[in-house]
Amino acid sequence: MATDNANADGFGEVSRVRGIVFEYLSLGASVFGLVALGVLLVYVAIDAFDLANASPEWLLTYFLTLVVPFLAFCLYSADDAAVTRRALGALGGGLVAVAALFTAIEALVVPIPRLNWQLAYLFVVAAPVTAYLAYVGSGGRVGAVGFGLLGRLVGGVAVGLAAGTLFLVFDPLLWFLAYTLGVLPAVGLYALGRLRSSPRAQTATVPVGLVGLVAAAFLREVVATYPSDLLIYLWTIAIPVAAAGALLVGDRRGRTAAVAVGGAPLVVATAGGFLASSAGLPAPTVLLVLVLTGVPTAVYVSRVVDAGEGLAGLGLPFLLAGGVIAGALVVQTFGFPTPEPWLDGSFLTAAPSRTPTDAGLYPAIVGSVIIIALVAVLSFALGVGTSVFLEEYTPGTGPLGTLTRILQVNVANLAAVPSVVYGLLGLGLFANLLGLGIGTAVTAALTLSLLILPITIISAQEAIRSVPDDLRRGSDAMGATRWQTTKNVVLPEAMPGILTGTILALGRAIGETAPLIMIGAATTVFRAPDSLFSRFSAMPMQIYTWAGFPQADFRYGVVAAGVITLLIILVGMNGTAILLRNRAERGS
Amino acid sequence: MASSHDADTAGITRRKSLAAIAGAGALGLAGCTQSGNGGDGGDELSGPINIAGSSTVFPLMSAVMEDFAEQHPGVDPDISSTGSGGGFSNFFCTGDTDFNNASRPIQPEEETLCEENGVEYIELIAATDALTVVVNPDADWIDSLTTEELAQIWKSDPAQTWDEVRDEFPNEEIERFGAADTSGTYDYFIEAILEEEGHTSDYQATEQDNTIAQGVSGSEFAIGYFGFAYYFQNPDQLKALGIDDGDGPVKPSLETASSGEYTPLSRPLFTYPSISSLGEEHIAEFARYFVEQTTNEDLVAGDVGYVPATEETQEEQMQKLEDAIERAQG
Repeated sequence: MATDNANADGFGEVSRVRGIVFEYLSLGASVFGLVALGVLLVYVAIDAFDLANASPEWLLTYFLTLVVPFLAFCLYSADDAAVTRRALGALGGGLVAVAALFTAIEALVVPIPRLNWQLAYLFVVAAPVTAYLAYVGSGGRVGAVGFGLLGRLVGGVAVGLAAGTLFLVFDPLLWFLAYTLGVLPAVGLYALGRLRSSPRAQTATVPVGLVGLVAAAFLREVVATYPSDLLIYLWTIAIPVAAAGALLVGDRRGRTAAVAVGGAPLVVATAGGFLASSAGLPAPTVLLVLVLTGVPTAVYVSRVVDAGEGLAGLGLPFLLAGGVIAGALVVQTFGFPTPEPWLDGSFLTAAPSRTPTDAGLYPAIVGSVIIIALVAVLSFALGVGTSVFLEEYTPGTGPLGTLTRILQVNVANLAAVPSVVYGLLGLGLFANLLGLGIGTAVTAALTLSLLILPITIISAQEAIRSVPDDLRRGSDAMGATRWQTTKNVVLPEAMPGILTGTILALGRAIGETAPLIMIGAATTVFRAPDSLFSRFSAMPMQIYTWAGFPQADFRYGVVAAGVITLLIILVGMNGTAILLRNRAERGS
Repeated sequence: MASSHDADTAGITRRKSLAAIAGAGALGLAGCTQSGNGGDGGDELSGPINIAGSSTVFPLMSAVMEDFAEQHPGVDPDISSTGSGGGFSNFFCTGDTDFNNASRPIQPEEETLCEENGVEYIELIAATDALTVVVNPDADWIDSLTTEELAQIWKSDPAQTWDEVRDEFPNEEIERFGAADTSGTYDYFIEAILEEEGHTSDYQATEQDNTIAQGVSGSEFAIGYFGFAYYFQNPDQLKALGIDDGDGPVKPSLETASSGEYTPLSRPLFTYPSISSLGEEHIAEFARYFVEQTTNEDLVAGDVGYVPATEETQEEQMQKLEDAIERAQG
């Protein structure tokens, strides 16, 4: 009765129209952006991989040999009849719906350029369903193992390539001396100190390391003969990585397993390195890739075998590799017309060229990777330093507090300054005044670090501010100094937030062109930079130039391949940072 | 006793075998050493070559650089597309680049700047370009324009509709797409067509030929101009107009530009090497190679779309270059 009277009593009737309209408006807003981005990516991918020329037979072959087994693997791992029904329904229903809708639009509204219904099905139905099933499948034990293994393989290759690229600009001979004389003794002493619990050995770590580094810098000019590059990488990176892997496993499983986990990849990598050098490939990079892929994979496999769960997941890489091989065999046997992707091995390893089919991005990729690595280190150090000082050390009140607030406002405003202005600053300050050189990698890295510094500072400040004061007070109450509180409480708590801000800022830095033009970075270089002071080109610069070339093959194919490469590197970079952040989150 | 004796011999054997392995390893490693001084030296050319300047000359220069870099693995060339003027004032006349490309001769204020900084240079002709005036391919009412009509469309107080230019043209508004005022193409267009009348500001200005092409193909009543290369590579996308300089309309093509029929819009393209840079052997060698390539038809006309230099021009340029190199190195 009461409810019946409620309206009449003036409890009021609230119209829900506005709420519903708002809900759909916000849905529309998000759909608009996502669909626009999706269309862009689809077209770029079609151009880069020449999918417009892929025959339906070719698509069907790889769909059956590669995608279907992968989906089956995910479904097996999820082991959920409802999910299986839903997925099969979406795949089958989607096929009919997309084909019908696509044909209808083509016939009645407008012809859709460079797409056919098979490709539309691939991007609109197959890709999302695959992503969804991969997500569901990774929840199961088998799937988790499979994706974990796949992640270590892909991640190892990526890290190995990145390390190989970075070592292009550093003098391997100096690194050899620094490692042998500085890093190795210091680490050895530290380990000895931990093992024998001798504080004296531990305090000696830093001085010993420093003395070794100085001695290395001095000896670099004196010593005349060095081991070959391959041996240097073997000694300074492959052996330590293998040893670390062996130690990790040896703790639990004893000596034999440790030797197998560390030794087997080491032997394979060394053999690969020597084979590569006789085949004319960059031996150090091959060695790095093999060892950085092999050791984590071996550790992971041994751990999975130990746990004895989800062993079937270890077959996932074989399933995918087998799918690729089987697909290639079928395509070759029946002679299906295959697309000729612009984004292929030679695009990634060749220098720019006037002929679209020969054009490559290698020098620009190396330039971008080097710069972004430097920017990451510089902006992280400067950003965290500034924000810790502003949040933890400056007083909140009094004249100094006012000064801090003025500083804060200025930092916030700097984030909105156009990037060209930072380019001018870089040209005047770093290139000319400090004499770091016009268009050199180090000038570019410093300029881009300044450009993203306000963003890193603001986000790091937010992260530090969101650490509850109770934690600080608790630490103070235990008698910790301010330094100890910052180091042990504030920074670990704030680290995920700080990393999130840095990731976003780095994403902006890697795509910047305007400041690079201002500091005189080259549009095109034909060799990868070999030192921090050599002139370089970056991926966005080269892509922009290609977009202005008269030949249509450049404007569509080569540019698209460049964009996809840039995106892959960006995703790889962000992925690494996100892994680090998740680790920091788990830790705290 | 016996057991300890056994242990001793075992120990010695192990030590011996370890020493043998280490010795073999050391011998093996001795083959894998390198000298710390780096660089294999020799008479092979090496060093950087820095080039900036015109975006019109960019495709030609980078094509030549590509071949030169392939032949001389020690040489590390790089090129920036900055526009003729930007290259002179920001990089070349401050002594930061070895060459500056230009789609027009160096201007007096740039000469002064170079002089102030003590940068000496010579002028080399790189190729000939035929500035191309384009309209939409659907515009079948127009096929050619006289230079006066062209000036009417682009002068600082321009005709607003097509029928103002010629009576039989439709009464539709003219949409203009042209080069930005930082570009040598803009300067040359003023010099050749507009002279003291000045360039209109009522147009879409850009450094990117693609943007002009997109704009013109978007409207039947649009007109634009740019270097020949874009039209050469995409002849079906746009319609090039014949230009009538008093002797009947002439369409732009490699033949009409090199024979001198396509006037007044065929123009020379330049590169300016700095004399002090020519003192370095690898840069002098690159300059020689560049002048040699200016008559290479496959490269200049086929790959890039400009008109190659004549043998005669090439000889003159080579002479000029050799004199400068001698001055720099001697």
